Amino acid sequence: MMPNLSSLSRRDFIAKSAIGTGLAIGVPSILRAEDLPKTKDLIRVGFIGCGKQHEVLFNAMVNIPGIQYVAACDIMKERLGRTYGSIYKRFDTKIKRYYEVADMLEKESLDAVFISTPDFWHSPHTIMALEAGCHVYCEKMMSNTLEGARAMVTAMDRTGKLCQIGHQRRSNPRYQYVLNELLNHHKVCGQIINVNGQWNRALSSSQDIVSKPSILPRAEILKRYGFNSGAENKLNEEQLRHRFLNWRFYTSLSGGPISDLGAHQIDIFNWYLGARPTSVMASGGRSFFKDREHFDNVMCVFDYDTPQGNARAFYQVLTTTSAGGGYYESFMGTDGTIEISEREAYTNIYKESGADSSKWDDLVNRGYLNKEANSVTRTSSDVVASYESAPPDKYTLPGGFNKPPHQPHVENFLESIRGNTKLTCDARHALQSEAPIYWVNAAAESKETIRFTDEHLHT
Amino acid sequence: MYKYDPLGLTLGMILLRVWLALRAILTGVEKYAASSVNSSEIIIDGTVNAYGLSESTYIKSYSLDNYNGVPSSLYDKFLNEPLIPNSLLYLFNTILGPSFIILGIALLIGFATRSTLFLMGILYASLTFGLILIKQDSGVAWLGIHILLIVAALTLVNYNRFEVLKKW
Repeated sequence: MMPNLSSLSRRDFIAKSAIGTGLAIGVPSILRAEDLPKTKDLIRVGFIGCGKQHEVLFNAMVNIPGIQYVAACDIMKERLGRTYGSIYKRFDTKIKRYYEVADMLEKESLDAVFISTPDFWHSPHTIMALEAGCHVYCEKMMSNTLEGARAMVTAMDRTGKLCQIGHQRRSNPRYQYVLNELLNHHKVCGQIINVNGQWNRALSSSQDIVSKPSILPRAEILKRYGFNSGAENKLNEEQLRHRFLNWRFYTSLSGGPISDLGAHQIDIFNWYLGARPTSVMASGGRSFFKDREHFDNVMCVFDYDTPQGNARAFYQVLTTTSAGGGYYESFMGTDGTIEISEREAYTNIYKESGADSSKWDDLVNRGYLNKEANSVTRTSSDVVASYESAPPDKYTLPGGFNKPPHQPHVENFLESIRGNTKLTCDARHALQSEAPIYWVNAAAESKETIRFTDEHLHT
Repeated sequence: MYKYDPLGLTLGMILLRVWLALRAILTGVEKYAASSVNSSEIIIDGTVNAYGLSESTYIKSYSLDNYNGVPSSLYDKFLNEPLIPNSLLYLFNTILGPSFIILGIALLIGFATRSTLFLMGILYASLTFGLILIKQDSGVAWLGIHILLIVAALTLVNYNRFEVLKKW
C-alpha cells in the first residue's frame, strides 16, 4: 500500500520519519482540541485496511451522522469490494477504491482516515496520513515496535493533526462513570491494593484463519508489503498467505496475544490507577500452539506506585481456554471491588463486609449504584468459619449504553475534529499506557524482572 | 408378529407434521425479525446523568426489510470457504427464509407431503454441509435430529390424513 517500496523499506520509512520528526517540537494534541478551527459538519472519511477490524469500526460508525464516506484502500480486492458494497448498500454512496495508500491520500481530499491494517503497518500508515493532512484514527496496538509507536507521536506533534488510538474503553460511558464517580469521587473501593485482569479465549477462537486461495493477494504483492519480514528462509506463496491472514502469530508482524488482547485492559490498569508501572515480571509459553512464534499464554505482574500507595496488577491472557469469566478488569480495594468489562454482563461491584454500609446505602439511594443481592453467609460443612471473610454484598452500575462498544470512541474522534471536544486517547496518552506492554514478552523471555526507567517508557 | 395401530400411526404422523411445520415456519419468520431498543435515561442525584448511561428495553418487530437469511457471523465464515462459491451463497441466503416458510406451510396443510418432506430434508442437509465445513459439530448433530424426524415422517406417510394435495 506504499509507493516505491522497493526503494523505501518500512524500517527506512520509520527511521527517516523519526529523524525528521525529532527536530520538531510539538504540542500534545489533547491540549490542542479547543484551538482547532470548527470545520463544516460533514467529515470526509477514508479507510485504510478493510479486514475484520475495519468491519467492527464501520459497524460502529453507521449510526453516526455527519460522515461522508469517500474512499477505501486494501491490497485484497475482495475486501475492498465488500467495503464498497456495505457502504453503497447502507448509504447509496459509491466510494473510490485503491490498492495504494499513497495513491488514495494524494488523489482524495480527506478530513480523516481510519487505519485498521496489521500492527506492523500502523505506524507507516499513520505517519503517511498525518503528513498528508488527515486526522487519524488508528487501531491499537499503535505499532509492533516501541520505535514505531514513538514515531507516531512525533508525527502527530509535528503535523498538528489529531491522532486517536483505538483504546475504545476510554470513551465508554460506563468506564468513564466508574473512574470519575465511583473510584475518584466517591472512592468506593477505598485504597486499591490489587488489580486483576484477564482475557481467556477458547481454543476454537484461536485457530488459524483460512481463506479461499483464489481471493488472496499473490506472493509478490505480499512480499512487497512486508509479510516476509523477519523470515529466515525464502517463503513460498502458501507461507506468505498464512502470514497475511495470521500476522498476529508472527513476532516480526505483531506483539502477540499480550498486545492483541492485553493492550486494551492493561491500558485500563494505567488509566484507572493514574500511574505507570514501575516494573514487570512475566511468564509465558507455547504450551499448546508449539509451532507459533508468540506465546499462547502469558501471565504478568506489574508493580505501581499510585497516589494512594503501592499496588500490584496481575494480567493473564490465554488462547486455549475460555472458562473463568471471559474478559474483565478487577480493581480490588480495602472497601470494595469493581470488576468492569466491555461486556455489561461481566461487570460486578462488591462491598467488603467491613466497609461503611451507610455510605454505600446512600449511593444506592441517590442512584449511583444498584444493589443486587445481600451477601449470603455460607453454612456448608466444608467452610472453616475462622478462615473465611464474610462474603461481600453485590452491586451493579445504574445503567449501560446501547451502542456498539466502539461508537463512543469514534464519536469522540469526529467531535474532536469539529473542535467540540478533546480526544480521549490521543497517540501520546495511548503510548504512555502501551509502552509497558512492549516489555512483557521480553520479561517472559528473560525470566527477569524489568524495572522501568524513562528509557523504557518515554514517549 | 407386531401389529401396527393405524390410528396411533396417523396421530403420530400428524404430530410430526405439526412439529416439523412449526419448526420450519417460525425459523423462516424469525429471519425477518429485528430488535429495536427503547432507552430511558438514568437519574442520579435527581438529575439526568452526564455520562449517557441509560436503561434499555428491547422491542422485537418483524419486517421484510429486516430479512437476513444466513446469520452474518456464519455468512462471513462461509465466504472464506473454498467449497462454497460466493454466488451460490448469495442465492442460498436469499431463498433460505422464504423456503422455510413455504415448505412449512405446505407440510402443515398437507400439500404434496412426500415431496415437501423430501425438499425439507434437502434444505436441512444443505445447512449441514455448511456447518460441517466450519466445524460447528453441535449444529450438525442438531440438524441430524431434524433429518431423523423427517425420515420418521416419510416412513409414516401412508398414514397421513388431512391433506390438501395427496399426490406426490
